[in-house]
Amino acid sequence: MNRLARKYLRPSQIPTKACHGCGIGMIENWLLQAIDELGLKQEDVIFGTGIGCVGRQTFATWGGDNFGATHGRALAVATGLKLAQPDKKYLIVVGDGDAAAIGTSHLIHAARRNLGVVVICEDNMGYESTGGQFSPTTPAGYVTNSSPYGMVEPPFDPCDVVQAAGATFVAETTATQWHQTVKIVKKALQNDGFSFVHVRFPCNENFGAYALGTRDTGKNLEWIYEHTQGRKADGSAADFTWATGIKHDASNSRPEFTKILRDVNARVRAKAEAR
Amino acid sequence: MATIVRADVTRELVAPWAEWERRYTQGRRLLEAGTYALTEGAIAAGCRVFAGYPITPATDIAEYMSKRLPEVGGYYMQCEDELAGMHACAGASLGGLKAMTATSGPGYTLMHDAYGWALTNEIPLVVVDAMRVGPISGITGAPGQGEFYVARYCTHGGNFETIVLSPSSVQEAFWLTIDAFNLSERFRTPVTILTDQVVSDMWEDLFIPDAYDALDFIVPRKHNLMMPFFPLGTADLDVPPNLVGQGTGVCVSAYTHTEEGYDIEEMEAQWAQTYRLVNKIRHHRAELARYETLGLEDAEVVAVAYGADARTVKTAVREARRRGLRAGFVRPITLWPFLDELFARDCHYVVCELNYDGQLVREVTRAAPDKGKVHFMGKSAELHTVAEVVAGLEGVARAGRIPELPYIWTEVR
Ligand SMILES: Cc1ncc(C[n+]2csc(CCOP(=O)(O)OP(=O)(O)O)c2C)c(N)n1
Ligand code: SF4
Ligand SMILES: [Mg+2]
Repeated sequence: MNRLARKYLRPSQIPTKACHGCGIGMIENWLLQAIDELGLKQEDVIFGTGIGCVGRQTFATWGGDNFGATHGRALAVATGLKLAQPDKKYLIVVGDGDAAAIGTSHLIHAARRNLGVVVICEDNMGYESTGGQFSPTTPAGYVTNSSPYGMVEPPFDPCDVVQAAGATFVAETTATQWHQTVKIVKKALQNDGFSFVHVRFPCNENFGAYALGTRDTGKNLEWIYEHTQGRKADGSAADFTWATGIKHDASNSRPEFTKILRDVNARVRAKAEAR
Repeated sequence: MATIVRADVTRELVAPWAEWERRYTQGRRLLEAGTYALTEGAIAAGCRVFAGYPITPATDIAEYMSKRLPEVGGYYMQCEDELAGMHACAGASLGGLKAMTATSGPGYTLMHDAYGWALTNEIPLVVVDAMRVGPISGITGAPGQGEFYVARYCTHGGNFETIVLSPSSVQEAFWLTIDAFNLSERFRTPVTILTDQVVSDMWEDLFIPDAYDALDFIVPRKHNLMMPFFPLGTADLDVPPNLVGQGTGVCVSAYTHTEEGYDIEEMEAQWAQTYRLVNKIRHHRAELARYETLGLEDAEVVAVAYGADARTVKTAVREARRRGLRAGFVRPITLWPFLDELFARDCHYVVCELNYDGQLVREVTRAAPDKGKVHFMGKSAELHTVAEVVAGLEGVARAGRIPELPYIWTEVR
C-alpha cells in the first residue's frame, strides 16, 4: 500500500477484485493525489459510485463516507444528498454506462442545475462488468461482444453533452496522462458547481481482448496513447483522435444548485418575517 | 331476523390518531383537498425535502410543497423523472433530512429501483401513490386500486416486508401522513401511502392543529453515528438511521451488505440481511395495526374495503343493518403487513375494491377461516354505490352469493 492509500483508503477493502492490470486502481490513486494536494481530509469528501466495474471496484475503498447507487443513479442520489450536506466535496465515480447510457438524463440535469459535484467518468468504452458489450462511447467500427460485426451506432462524446447542458467545468483525459489528470481533478474539485472529468482507460479483459485483440496492459495503454496523439507508433495516422485537456472552464461563474435553493428559502422567510 | 339487529353498533378505530385527535383540539378548521392534507401532514411530521415529478392526481402535492417547503426551511425539487425523484429523496434522507415524494401508478412503477435501494439501505422516507384506474395511464381523473400488490412488492428480488397505509378521508390523510413518517423513522424503511384519486382530489372538512412544534408524538430524526451501521440478523426497532456526510465511514449500496455496509457475496450475509429486512417488520406487526371496524359483534356478513371506496361501503353496511341484516364492516388502514387478524371471524366477507383483478380479496381469502364464504365485488374507475353494496350484502345473506349487477365482477381466478 502506498502512502496515499494508507492515508485515505480502507485497508480491508483493497486491493479490489479488479482484474490484474486494470486501470481503475491507478486512476483512483491519481484522485487521491489530487485530494491530498488540495489538503482535503477523509471527512471532507463523500464518495459516490454506480454499478459496473468502475462502481464496484471503487465502492467502499474510500476511507470516508461512501454510497454505491443502483446502475446510473449516483447523480440522482447525490442531488438529494448535496441538499442535506452542502459543504462536502463529492466525487461521483462512474462508468460510461452509468454516466452516458442508463444515467444520461441525471447527468444532463445535474449539469444544467450546476449541482456541486465532481463526476469522474471512467470510460472503458463498453459495459465491461457484464462481459464487454458496446456502449454509447465505443468508437465506431470496433468489435465487442455485442457488436461482433463492428460497432454500427455512432458514439457520442459525453463532454459535449454536459457542456451543452451547462456544466461549469469539463475536461477529458486518459489513463496515459497522470500529471494532466491530477491537475484536472484538482481544478474540478475547486469548482463550486458541476464538474465533469472524462477519463478513458483500457479494459484489458474485454475491450482489450475483443476490440484490440490483446489483454496486454502495455499494448492497450499504447492504443489509448496513440489516439490522444492522432498517430500510431510507426508514424501513420490513427483512425481518430481524442482531444484531451480542459475543454470548458467556467468554474464558479454561476451559483451552485443547492445554494440557489437555500437562497430561495432565505428570500421567502425574510419576506414572511417582514410581514 | 330484522327485529333483532342492533342499530347502535360498535365502531372501532384503531390508529394512533384516535388519541391525537382527542389531545389536540386547538387549531384551524379548513375546507381543503386531500393533497393539501397530505402536504401539511408531511410538513407537520418534519418533512424538509420533496423531490418528484408531477402527475395527476398527485400534482397538487408537488405544487403545495413548492410553496410550503421554503417557508419552513425545506427544499422542493422537481426532478427529471420519478427515478430521480425517489433517489433524490433517499439521498436527502441519508444526509439527515426527512423526505417525501408523491406520484401515481405510472410514476410509482418507475420508482421500483429507488424503492429497493432505500429499503435495503434502511433509509426512512415516505412515498405517496395516488392511484388512478389503469393499466398505464388509464383515466387520469378516475380512482383505481390497482397497486395493492405492487405496493407490497414495490421492488424486485424478494426478501423484504413493506409498510403500506391507506387513508379514506382528507382528515385521515393528514394524520396518517404524520404516522407514515413516524413509522418510516422507527422502522428505518420507506413507507407507502397508498391513496386514490378520490381522497387526493376531494375537498373536505380538515382540522389542522396549531404549532406543529408542540405535537409531542412526532418521531424526530435521530442519527446513528457508529457501527453497526446495519444491525443485521436482528429485528430491533428504533435504530436511528445512518447519516452520510459526517465522516463516520458509513457505506450504503445496492449490494448485499455487511454491518459496515461493505458489499459481500456470501450466503450468511444474505441471510442476515433478509432476517433484518423481513423481521424488523414481522416481529412488530402489532405496532403496525391500523384499522376501522363496525358491527363485528354480531355480523354474519362483513363488507371489506379500503381507501375512498370504504366510504360508500360503510354507508351501505349501515343501510343494510337498517334493513335488518347482520352486516359488519372492516376497513384495513394498514394494508401491508396484511392484518390477518381482522378476518378471524367465521362469517361471510364481501370484498369491495376498485379493480377487476381481485387483489385485496385474495388476502382476505387467505386469512378467512372459511374460504368458501369470501365474495368479491370488483368495480373500476368509480366508487361502489351504496345500492350495489347493499344488494351484494343481501344476496350473500339470503342466497350465499353476490347477485348479478352491472359493472360488478365477482370472479377471482
Ligand atoms: C438497471 C440495470 N440494468 C442492467 C444492469 C447490468 N449491468 C451491470 S453493470 C452494467 C454495465 C456497466 O457499464 P459501465 O457503467 O460502463 O461500467 P463498467 O463495468 O464498464 O466499468 C450493466 C449493464 C444493472 N445492474 N442494472
Ligand atoms: S473487466 Fe475490464 S474494467 Fe472490469 S475489472 Fe476487468 S479489466 Fe477492469
Ligand atoms: Mg464501461
